Amino acid sequence: MGISPIQYRPWKGERSAQNLRVYVIFRSVINHGMKSPGVIILLVIGFFIVFAFPLISVVFAPHERLEASDMNSSLDSLILAIFALLLAAVVTSDLISEDLSSNSFVLYFSRALKSRDYIAGKTGGALLLMSLLCLIPPLLIAVTATLTQSGNDYWHSLTVIGRTIGAGALATVFYVPYGIMMSSFTRRKSYAAVGTFMSFFVLTIIAEVFAGFAQGWRIISPIDSLSYSFDWIFGEALPSFINKGALAALITLFIVLPSVVVYVKITRQAVGK
Amino acid sequence: MPRISDASVRELTSDHPLEAQRVTVRFGQVTALDGFTASIPRESVGLLGPNGAGKSTFIKASLGLLQPEAGSILVGGLDSRSQSLRIRDNVGYMPEHDCLISSLNAVELVSYMAQISGMTPRDAMQRGHEVLDFVGLGEERYRLIKSYSTGMKQRVKLAQAIVHDPSLLFLDEPTSGMDPQGREEMLDLIRRIGLADKTVVVSSHILQEVERVCDYIVIISNGRLIRAGKTQSLVAGEEGVHTLTVRGDVRAIESYVRSMEEICNVLERKNEGDMQASLLVSGCEDGKAIFRLASERGIQIRSYRPEKLDLEEVFLRSFEGESKDGN
Repeated sequence: MGISPIQYRPWKGERSAQNLRVYVIFRSVINHGMKSPGVIILLVIGFFIVFAFPLISVVFAPHERLEASDMNSSLDSLILAIFALLLAAVVTSDLISEDLSSNSFVLYFSRALKSRDYIAGKTGGALLLMSLLCLIPPLLIAVTATLTQSGNDYWHSLTVIGRTIGAGALATVFYVPYGIMMSSFTRRKSYAAVGTFMSFFVLTIIAEVFAGFAQGWRIISPIDSLSYSFDWIFGEALPSFINKGALAALITLFIVLPSVVVYVKITRQAVGK
Repeated sequence: MPRISDASVRELTSDHPLEAQRVTVRFGQVTALDGFTASIPRESVGLLGPNGAGKSTFIKASLGLLQPEAGSILVGGLDSRSQSLRIRDNVGYMPEHDCLISSLNAVELVSYMAQISGMTPRDAMQRGHEVLDFVGLGEERYRLIKSYSTGMKQRVKLAQAIVHDPSLLFLDEPTSGMDPQGREEMLDLIRRIGLADKTVVVSSHILQEVERVCDYIVIISNGRLIRAGKTQSLVAGEEGVHTLTVRGDVRAIESYVRSMEEICNVLERKNEGDMQASLLVSGCEDGKAIFRLASERGIQIRSYRPEKLDLEEVFLRSFEGESKDGN
């Protein structure tokens, strides 16, 4: 007697609403990131090098209140910028390049998923991972400093916490769109990662060269422009050669332009172009 | 958590779940679909046509991935332009090309796609294993997809297409790159899915396979419908057309054919060696005359039967200027 083949069985369950499918991609990016040794190493080492000492010092050193300058110095460090850039390169490098190399866009877009949901899920996951280095640790320091302060000026400390959230959010958002754009340009995640890292440094070198003629050119360096933005957010004086309008425009450009490029590329991929 | 209604599921189970009306799709100067009109019934349907005929464009337009310049496509009564997301929830698509995420294993990929189709993680995992069992993927399902053979990848592609239990399934070259045994098994899977009251649209170049699994055929060329109809009626040939096989001396056959031309239309003649010929005849009202003429010329009639074609002949004839509905 032969074995009967397995027959097709219908599925009787209920589906979630279409606008909730974005969370599936979001979760997948986070799960993938949290299993990646590179991401974990960067998060752990970055935290210990950049934030461990300030965290210990706010616990043990007596302080009247949380000062904006202390939080600015925590966030406005070259080491954090380098770790954030490395983390962004690792987190974003395979977000789109892997789907490009495997031609798997068709699997996503033959389902009830819009290209903007696909991008939102991928970007949201990457932002959450970035926030583990750029937003959560400084916020932890700020909250700890407020809880352990000796003075009563909590309003001032809460204002600094608000500014810290703003600066941390900017640091979180700043590198991700560019990294995702690089990932959408290539089928190899190594190219995307190196491309993200190197292009920021190339811009920094170019800024250094042009700064020899006029200091204002420094804002085309992404790392410098982020540093000036932190000064601005924490209420510190900006150098006279920095135009606030130009700085705001450039920061917006760094975030918006790559996002638009990615949206256009993914929308074209969705229809198989 | 908000849920979507199953209204579209009911609509997709209507008698003609897919209807295209004068659909035109252009890519720059190239017209991929040129006023294409077809009504796909709720059964296994073969979508045939040469390369560049517009088959894939039709599938993409049905999924709402391409916007027609003119005309409309209704999938289960839903307009592909404005209701594409609702359509896609009840449509499965197995692409022709390699499209699997190679860094995942089959279980991860299929359950991930199930979740994107709206299943809960728990349902998706359970259903993922169920469809992988159905397509015949055993313990290999835990290996990374990049280590799979072409046949195994085809099975995973089929599994991800059916994991959300769609009512309409597009299979683009489902047996591509598979060995003969794998092909047989894939055809059997398609047959079994078709028996589950699904509309299965199979786009393939291998006509024998389509003939075996599809109840209805749609032939496209240059973006236009060339021919459509039940497989049985298409391969049955035209009414009143018969195949006559005769055997005898060459001169006697020549004389017989000339005399046959006086009482019938001899549409085609094929010599099968020196002593035998096969004639395609129509309009032979007097059947007895056929035998009488043969007897008078010393010709043996080996067979006389209604024309029976295979799908390849139907396909080739469709490109000889014929354009008709086989229903």
